[in-house]
Amino acid sequence: MSAAALLPTVAGIGLRAPHVRRVLSERPPLGWLEVHSENYFLDGGPALAALEKLRTEYPISLHGVGLSLGSADALDLAHLARLKQLVARIAPAAVSEHLAWGRIDGRHLNELLPLPFTEEALALCCERIDAVQSALGRPILVENVSAYLRFSADAMAEWEFVAEVVGRAGCGLLFDVNNVYVNAVNHGFDPHAYLAAMPGAAIAEIHLAGFDDRGPCLIDTHGARVAAPVWELYRAALERFGPKPTLVEWDTDLPELEILAGEAATAQSMLEQAHAATAA
Amino acid sequence: MPPPLRELQRSFVAATLFDDAAACVAVGVAAGGLDAATRIGVYRNNVLGNYRRALAATYPVVLKLVGNAFFNATIDAFVRAHPSAHGDVNRYGGELAGFLAAYPSARELAYLPDVARLEWAIDQANIAADAPAFDFLGLRSVAGEKPEGLRFVLHPSVSLIASPYPILRIWRVNQPGYAGEVAVDLGEGGDALLVLRTAQGISIEPLAPGEYALLAALRAGEALAVAVDRATMAERAFDLAASLRRLVGAQAIVGFR
Repeated sequence: MSAAALLPTVAGIGLRAPHVRRVLSERPPLGWLEVHSENYFLDGGPALAALEKLRTEYPISLHGVGLSLGSADALDLAHLARLKQLVARIAPAAVSEHLAWGRIDGRHLNELLPLPFTEEALALCCERIDAVQSALGRPILVENVSAYLRFSADAMAEWEFVAEVVGRAGCGLLFDVNNVYVNAVNHGFDPHAYLAAMPGAAIAEIHLAGFDDRGPCLIDTHGARVAAPVWELYRAALERFGPKPTLVEWDTDLPELEILAGEAATAQSMLEQAHAATAA
Repeated sequence: MPPPLRELQRSFVAATLFDDAAACVAVGVAAGGLDAATRIGVYRNNVLGNYRRALAATYPVVLKLVGNAFFNATIDAFVRAHPSAHGDVNRYGGELAGFLAAYPSARELAYLPDVARLEWAIDQANIAADAPAFDFLGLRSVAGEKPEGLRFVLHPSVSLIASPYPILRIWRVNQPGYAGEVAVDLGEGGDALLVLRTAQGISIEPLAPGEYALLAALRAGEALAVAVDRATMAERAFDLAASLRRLVGAQAIVGFR
């Protein structure tokens, strides 16, 4: 399956509920919008109606946070059925999930928890991605996540695990540059080595976001502007992989829409430089 | 031998949510930099913080009534006692009212569970399914055939909440921007409320005993004749024609079968 998404190679924003009304009424010039799939697991109501309006104006990306691809529990088929229903309704330009887990023995933690980088977890993720792609009848993108610990069970580096999943499962990669930076600081590795190990052709989307540096380690809160070293790493990613559809995410301490759109505009100007470099 | 994935994930939950020290070791956190307990603690804060934020958005009046510290401690205890059953956090938290009713620390706030039920009803009304417009022509033909067996269908967003406490007033005086008298006399009498979503937004309406009994019976799937008996029993002056007109107009009754 080709990872080439229908997302335009421009910058978009993660759209959260408090901004929906303004985006609907003002139609600001944003390249595309990404929403959390689960927020639209609905049979009706104003939120779903708003998304159905927005999809006529902007390419939409459905980004899942709750499928728990890496859980030792069986895949949640009810969740998958809900996702399939939404995908049919919205016909999004991209569908993505995380290389993480969030459920065990039937209990969800509703958080993106880190996987051990073992052969067992690798095989499980590939099997699940295959099941999801078969159910949806389209390729999905999987995203590398931030982590605050590593397991002694690890048999390979994170970048090896991510590249291997994408290669074996034949899915696209949603490459989160902020997560690479957060993990590089938290676990002491060179983020450029991570970049060098990524399968560039499979990267169908890039994520940028802000972290919080006031805790015991960097915390991926999506609650701040994109940090300077993350912009630098993004530039390096564009140089290496060429321009890619890019999203700025903001989830906690949500600012005014202008601030978020401003971050996307910064990404857009860097994308344009990358386009120019590619053309030259 | 590293623990298999299932064991590792079980230990992770025990270590984060339940502060289990043995599980913290069993997780097998790689050495280096911060210690295992600190790293596990970051996840504990994140997971509980997510639930506190999500449920503060669902239950803003409960939060205002008890304050931040009490609310957070309550949510932490609730999360441990009531596992989330969905990958969609928007569906989590409906059991909070029941949890509060049995929560020793909240015993003195007897009205709190009913306020929580009202807030959950509002939250769920926002995400309930839509309903098609009432089919008056279809009703005429069906009602002619078997009026006493007719069953009315309520809007999917409808909740009925009865409380011995004045929970609507408690809810109102705790809304942002409320500027009136804030004292609430808990002895002023209870409420029987209809919560639903209309084209104009969420509606919360006090009902007379007859209408409440009618809707409760209809919601339970009873035939119209049974529902009317219950309504008349609850309120002698119950006026069926006026009530039906009003409830269809309010989009509480949306169909029949």
